[in-house]
Amino acid sequence: MLIKFTLNNKPVTVEAPADITLSVLLRDYLKMTGTKEACEVGECGSCSVILDGELVNSCLVAAPSVMGREVTSIEGIHDADGSPNDLQRNFIAKGAVQCGYCIPGMVMASEALLAKKAEPTREEIRIALAGNLCRCTGYMQIVDAIETTAEERTKNGTNLKRENRSQ
Amino acid sequence: MAKYDYVMAHTVEEAVGLLNEPGLRSIPLAGGTDIYVALRVNPVWFDRLVDIGRIPEMTEIQEDENRISIGAAVTFSKAAGSKILREKVPFLVEACESIGGPAVRNCGTFGGNVANAAVCADSLPSLVCLEATAHLVSPKGERQIKVAHLVKAPHETGIEKGELLTHFSFDIPSKSARSCFIKIGRRKAQSISRLSIAVLGSLDSENNIDFVRICPGAAVSSPTRFLNVENALIGNQPGEALFTSAADQLVAEMIASTGRRWSTPYKEVALKAIAERSLKKIFLEDGSAHVN
Repeated sequence: MLIKFTLNNKPVTVEAPADITLSVLLRDYLKMTGTKEACEVGECGSCSVILDGELVNSCLVAAPSVMGREVTSIEGIHDADGSPNDLQRNFIAKGAVQCGYCIPGMVMASEALLAKKAEPTREEIRIALAGNLCRCTGYMQIVDAIETTAEERTKNGTNLKRENRSQ
Repeated sequence: MAKYDYVMAHTVEEAVGLLNEPGLRSIPLAGGTDIYVALRVNPVWFDRLVDIGRIPEMTEIQEDENRISIGAAVTFSKAAGSKILREKVPFLVEACESIGGPAVRNCGTFGGNVANAAVCADSLPSLVCLEATAHLVSPKGERQIKVAHLVKAPHETGIEKGELLTHFSFDIPSKSARSCFIKIGRRKAQSISRLSIAVLGSLDSENNIDFVRICPGAAVSSPTRFLNVENALIGNQPGEALFTSAADQLVAEMIASTGRRWSTPYKEVALKAIAERSLKKIFLEDGSAHVN
């Protein structure tokens, strides 16, 4: 069937079978392999993407159900010149990345949080990441990176722009 | 060749029509958080998914005079953010917030939680305490049945083939009622309930318990109120000794229902603890709902 939706702010039309999930649509049919599949039962968060402003596990979303909707995947998170954005640079600076497999999902969960809450507490950050598992870092550095990004965006006034854009 | 087809329904009527199209095994798809997990381990048991997740009337929470209705396709995130539910039934909100992680709560729905009927389904104990009614529609017409009667056994409900669960409704508890939901999981978040309990109750002007409903989750094969325990509490002054004896009775009734199983040495201690804690919370402390 023909699936039309908006992916990372660009209209997409793709021919795909009805019996696949959004993660398979992104990875196998659109060759966007930044979104990772791991548990495929909604427990690990590796496949997290943002669907109409809400964080979802793309391994549990029917591909045809995104018809007419807006999807943001990790390929849509970057600076204007295509380089890592402030959040991603902070992940690197804080040592929040080791093997890296969970990181696309972590970044999506972080951006979903920061779009709704400009200055989350550490507790709120942890709650927002509850569905994203990382077996390497122990999470502290990831929370540090998000906290620092939130502070910088608030200081620079760039968070408001993001909040408006996500509405 | 696709193993199954997909179609989106825009209204309840259209959904019921699609679910009953002859020659096709169609099932409703709401959030997908149970269906896609089941598809990982089971052979495909249907020919077509009928997406009901965007039917406007099924995604609304409404309050009229003394009753609240929750659409079957309302997500747990939407419920947790609902002012009506936060104010009137905080223990239902606490239950919603304890489910999975944010991404699961953004997709998972009340209708799916009830229709899937897992023993550990976290919305069930509070819905049963509220004596919630499930509303179903089929080509034969509408039907109403208490949630406690709809859920028959683990993963078994009275929802008939071609029937669509559209919404739930329940009376708003009195202003003096207090509620509490406690869940024990293996970690604080993104975990399956090992055991849970929902309690709703109130005191009369003389500080005696005049109303109480108790429904544990994941304790017996389907969610049910423990009426003997409730009756033993009613008319009494709240106190620790009373709550200990009520908790002991609750545990004895659980074991009478399930027999002594491998999990009993754990569950008998844990259920007693959360029963005492929830009764104390409601009748001796501030009575607001809490989790863990």
